[in-house]
Amino acid sequence: MPNALKKLFFITIGVFIIMGFFISPEHPHFFWEKIPAFDAIFGFIGCILIVLGSKALGHHGISKDEDYYD
Amino acid sequence: MFKVVPPAFIFILGALLIPFLRERRLKQLFQLLVPIIAFIDLLYMPKGTYWIFNFLGYDLILGRVDKLAMCFGYVFVIMAFLGMVYALHVREDGQHISAFLYVGSTLGVTFAGDLFTLFAFWEIMAVSSVFLIWYQKDKAALNAGFRYLMVHLFGGCALLAGIIIYVSNTGSINFSFIEYGGLASQLILLGFIINAAVPPFHAWLSDAYPEATVTGSVFLTAFTTKSAVYVLLRGFPGVELLIWLGAIMALYGVVYAVLENDIRRLLAYHIISQVGYMVCGVGLGSEMAMNGSTAHAFCHILYKALLFMGAGAVIHVTGRRKLTELQGRNLYKKMPICLSLYMIGGFSISAVPLFNGFVSKTMVTAAAGELHRPVIHLMLHLASIGTFLHTGLKLPYGTWFGKVPKGEKIEEIEAKEPPLNMLIAMGMAAFLCIFTGVYPKILYDILPYHVHYHPYTAYHVVGMMQLLLLTAVAFWVYIDKLGGEPTISIDTDWFYRKPGRIFVWFCNNPLSSFRLKVQNIFSAELDSIIRLSKNPYTAPKVLLWTACLYANRALKSLVGQKSIEEEEKFAERLKTIKSIHYNENIYRTLIGFGVSIVLILLFLSVIINFKM
Repeated sequence: MPNALKKLFFITIGVFIIMGFFISPEHPHFFWEKIPAFDAIFGFIGCILIVLGSKALGHHGISKDEDYYD
Repeated sequence: MFKVVPPAFIFILGALLIPFLRERRLKQLFQLLVPIIAFIDLLYMPKGTYWIFNFLGYDLILGRVDKLAMCFGYVFVIMAFLGMVYALHVREDGQHISAFLYVGSTLGVTFAGDLFTLFAFWEIMAVSSVFLIWYQKDKAALNAGFRYLMVHLFGGCALLAGIIIYVSNTGSINFSFIEYGGLASQLILLGFIINAAVPPFHAWLSDAYPEATVTGSVFLTAFTTKSAVYVLLRGFPGVELLIWLGAIMALYGVVYAVLENDIRRLLAYHIISQVGYMVCGVGLGSEMAMNGSTAHAFCHILYKALLFMGAGAVIHVTGRRKLTELQGRNLYKKMPICLSLYMIGGFSISAVPLFNGFVSKTMVTAAAGELHRPVIHLMLHLASIGTFLHTGLKLPYGTWFGKVPKGEKIEEIEAKEPPLNMLIAMGMAAFLCIFTGVYPKILYDILPYHVHYHPYTAYHVVGMMQLLLLTAVAFWVYIDKLGGEPTISIDTDWFYRKPGRIFVWFCNNPLSSFRLKVQNIFSAELDSIIRLSKNPYTAPKVLLWTACLYANRALKSLVGQKSIEEEEKFAERLKTIKSIHYNENIYRTLIGFGVSIVLILLFLSVIINFKM
């Protein structure tokens, strides 16, 4: 990825996280909706969880060779 | 003003007319015209219940038209048009015919007001769609098609059984809200959720869709699962079970998508995931959740078609369908338009603001929030991450960019932009995705209930952007782990693919040899009976001499003597009597004479006894 694009990407992330500190929902339903940048944290950790969790499942039984059913 | 007809019939009639059009341009024009006519028909269809036919004392209703049915009707017809543009270059009539029958029967399900009509169209749907798989014409497609058919026929049987019990319990065949509880409703629900691909009954989808033809799979993505969502919305809103099934489903698809190597199968797992949101919305049952499910079905049809079109275009031009065969070949240089249009679909499914997934998916999650369902809310949120990770990042990266694993040499592959009609179809789908995303009012106005939801609040937009951007960061971190691996994933279809084979082996070997043994015994018995019956006149004697022969042998052996002479005598007699073959002519005269005498006597006795 070109460097300019990389910079832009990180600046965008920064901007949205900072905006998260000033914006809160009108009618929060759950406590975590009041935590600033909760979605960012959730997104990062959730993505890692999905990748590692699925890969672990895959390597412990789900993934088989391509000719498994042949 | 013209008279409106059931839109299902427009497509079914259209399907039947296709083979009669010989001129290719005319045929193509006709194929595009049919969905347009159907759409105009929909616009003129008034709300209400009509097209009622009496059948065996029951009222069959072909037109139950309300906002919910209309919303699905619109998107199905739009999708039929997009799919047909995409498939315009296909020269096999059969594919177009089965596609039209498939669309027609789905519309039949959508506007069916009673359970019998629903069931009839439900079955046509299964049977017509399987040809879109079989037209791929390879062994994998043939087998997957049979499995697809088997699962759908099982679902159809469950539905039929449920309908019969329901009708005999209630006496009514009207299809409306069905009280959940009791065998009838459970069987009907089972039939519905098999078509909605709810785990553990989902494997037919990820098994069969990727094996279909490039153009056929685009049709397949739209109709079966979404019509199932429609009937669930109609029949089972507010069933608690569906909330959990839906949320599990949303995550299930995501997990399998991580492991998937086949690009269309990856997308197929995301159909399961996305339909999970809709099923969850049905279960939540509030007006907002039902609106969310309907809206999401509408948007999903558009963006999922676009995604399948993009993946299909790659398969069409390269003949390759696996990430391991595509990554690192820098296809983005050769097909940039296709990539850009695919990405619009990718952003839509990921619910990026200004794309249509954002205005519908967030409605379901917001409904979960409004009903104070923290676990469901988080599960759906987590599934959103996975969606962007795969459809928005992993798949396009692996297909159009990517790196070749170390040690593997890069060979150039032939690729170019797909045919114009494919690009036009993708362009139109992409336009609709953005249009409904930017101007959601047009969608919200046709939803079944009044909408009190505003997707574009600062909180929603910022939250979603944070979620997606940080997902992208995590993707970057794990980019090397996410390349395709040359594996397949076992799913619940294992239960009928592997043990199924053992069952077939059992039938072919032990069961079959047992059958042969039984058959031999009986045919030997049959032979002796035939021998006896050949000459009924000597049969008693044959039996008698045989009995004598064996009795003699038994008696002598009891006493301890051997009497070869007597035995020979009996055997000799038996042989002579057996050698007499029945010749009907010998006995014919005698029997005829006897019968004549009896008849004459009978006649005389009648005359004597008959008194005037």
